[in-house]
Amino acid sequence: MDKFNLYVPNFLPFKEYFIPEKNQACPGCGLALAIRHTYKALEKEIEKATWQPLRGAEPFEERLDMFGMGKTEVSFLRIPKGKGDLILCLDNEVGGSLRDVLEKPMPSIAVAEGFPYVASACPSYPFDLYEKVKRGFQTEGKSYIHILCPCPEDWKFDPELTVKIGRWAVESRAFPLYEEGGGVYHLTVETQKPRSLSDYLKAQKRFEDLSEKEIEEAQAFVDAEYKKLLDTVQKYLDTTG
Amino acid sequence: MGLTIRFQKNMVECSLLEKGVGRPFRPGDRREWTPEWDRDMCIRCGLCYVYCPDGAIYRTDDGFFEADMDKCKGCGICHRECWFGAISMVKEE
Repeated sequence: MDKFNLYVPNFLPFKEYFIPEKNQACPGCGLALAIRHTYKALEKEIEKATWQPLRGAEPFEERLDMFGMGKTEVSFLRIPKGKGDLILCLDNEVGGSLRDVLEKPMPSIAVAEGFPYVASACPSYPFDLYEKVKRGFQTEGKSYIHILCPCPEDWKFDPELTVKIGRWAVESRAFPLYEEGGGVYHLTVETQKPRSLSDYLKAQKRFEDLSEKEIEEAQAFVDAEYKKLLDTVQKYLDTTG
Repeated sequence: MGLTIRFQKNMVECSLLEKGVGRPFRPGDRREWTPEWDRDMCIRCGLCYVYCPDGAIYRTDDGFFEADMDKCKGCGICHRECWFGAISMVKEE
């Protein structure tokens, strides 16, 4: 079996920076998984990081009222670097409504503010997340990464399903993974056969009471958003050749 | 195998975001199930290591993987993500 020893995970740095004594996360925490890979990507730089609540986080605070985002409590991890900061938004949608789940205004705010690097990531695709955090840190100027972290406690699913649910979020196109900046604008994970949105929503007991009609509306909304994203990517391709 | 972890009351608050506000507590205290590796089925790919949220899984010298019982919370993600079904969750005594 020795020749099978070269698997991709074995190329990740094996050193753990995530301190277990202070890790009070629940079992199966998606946030902890995301932070663990962020720490791996940034290594020693993580010591300079500061946590920041949504209130007082520029430039998002004043813009969010415009979008009318609900009660979701997101936190920002701000890592200083040469010019500008790397801002990670760890979004676990706690207390969010269906609209907060489907609509993510933050990346578009960052694009509108002219951030040189904007991406969305999910810990279910750990290598993608790892690469994006690294690239965000290396890009000159401000970078923003929106990370969707499934939370078994608030979304009400089995802790062992955390990674699956995050994958379904991407496969159902509710949370497409893309990156913008550094001369590229593209989807990093493309699903040819999308999963239906009801698979993703029904797996979470917080959406138990959703009616069929609401799910249909949500599906139409997600399809429209995804088409908009594809159009933007195509437009970018057309202009750059 | 029907693996369900019942939610306990003290899990509800998400205190992960407050850095360094540590109560004296070992992560392993909340565990009900523990992962067990079947070395005949394991191909040493390391996916369990990648997907462990708590960094509890480490690689042994012979290339296999094992869980550090002080850190493991028994969430079952490794059991779910293993392609070869090499990890089973057993009830802790």
